[in-house]
Amino acid sequence: MLASGVVDQERRSQWLRGVLDMCVLAMVSGGESYGYHLVQAVEAAGLGPIKGGTLYPVLLRLESTGLVATDWRQGPSGPARKYYRITAAGQATLRQAVLDWQSFSSDVNAILQRGNAILQEGQST
Amino acid sequence: MTINDGWLRDLGMELRRRGVPGGTADHVVAEAATHLRDSGEPPMAAFGPAGAYAAVVSDSVGAAWRRARRPAPGPMRLRARGIVKRYRRRDVLSGVDLTVHAGEVAAVIGANGCGKSTFLRICAGLISPDKGTVQVDGSIGYCPQDGGTIDFLRPEEHFVLVGGGRNWSRERSRAKGRAAAATLDWDASTPMLSRHLSGGTRQKLNLVMAGLSEPDVLLLDEPYQGFDRGTYLDFWEQVWRWRDSGRAVVVVTHMLNQLDLVDTVLDLSGANRERWS
Repeated sequence: MLASGVVDQERRSQWLRGVLDMCVLAMVSGGESYGYHLVQAVEAAGLGPIKGGTLYPVLLRLESTGLVATDWRQGPSGPARKYYRITAAGQATLRQAVLDWQSFSSDVNAILQRGNAILQEGQST
Repeated sequence: MTINDGWLRDLGMELRRRGVPGGTADHVVAEAATHLRDSGEPPMAAFGPAGAYAAVVSDSVGAAWRRARRPAPGPMRLRARGIVKRYRRRDVLSGVDLTVHAGEVAAVIGANGCGKSTFLRICAGLISPDKGTVQVDGSIGYCPQDGGTIDFLRPEEHFVLVGGGRNWSRERSRAKGRAAAATLDWDASTPMLSRHLSGGTRQKLNLVMAGLSEPDVLLLDEPYQGFDRGTYLDFWEQVWRWRDSGRAVVVVTHMLNQLDLVDTVLDLSGANRERWS
């Protein structure tokens, strides 16, 4: 039981690696945010805990490819923070990514459900 | 100094070593500092080892930046055509071609004994091929795999010897050598004789000598043996600087992790004797 739990965790983090940049892009599309806040938001959304060491390189890539813009500012309380907001290029990328993901995930769903249906039939006969 | 301060300082150092530009590096460090304050996590839990995190950051921004700022390649500096070399009836090299332009880096790879060093020595004019031609436009700096230093001389006396060939004053030679050594994190003003230096430090001396007279073509035969990891990164930074100042660089290497950053790979291992860019 423990072993399968560990494998599930690995699988989940692999999934997350493939979609984290798009999730981050979606999270800053509604308004600007900063690193630690995004870490908390990803966890609150149920995607599990992510490390700063995972998130910030993703933000850097989004920044260097022009999908997000950044701004160093004093927060309402506490130290200066780097705030991220989506750019027009980021919005276009996000729109396309949503379509691509919907198509990809429905293909994966179809395969998994077909396999699952065959297993169910085997059990009932 | 707190654990955080030490880790953040290491991070800044590792980022600079990997060629992440100063402004970006400062921002990455400041953002990590803010994150550690906000989350209260220890740096190893949030980011892992400073060197590993710097490598990931550098991959995210550094490689793109390196490619973006580099000037276009210049004229042809080295052309080896149809190089054949036999030892005891065995073909060590059978028809090897390589062309390198100013502002390019070529990597020569392959298993031990496949003729990498022989090929480089032929390019340097130290040995003759049985067939084929080597054309070089400009001066050559050659860094051997080992040897090349003079046991009973100090590092600075080596610089004076090399500088003498260019009619530099002793002081100018010493100063240029010390400056080049500093980029490899080495203080070359040591009074130690070269035979008392560690293997890695002797290789730094070889490398500094190869670049000292500012040659147009640098031929480097696995020059980083005995280097620690930090110096190894400094070495590649030096290679990029040579390249960006218009030198043609050929590096014999068995380290494959830098190959995405070089312009040409010459693979000399066995049947797979071909070149791609």
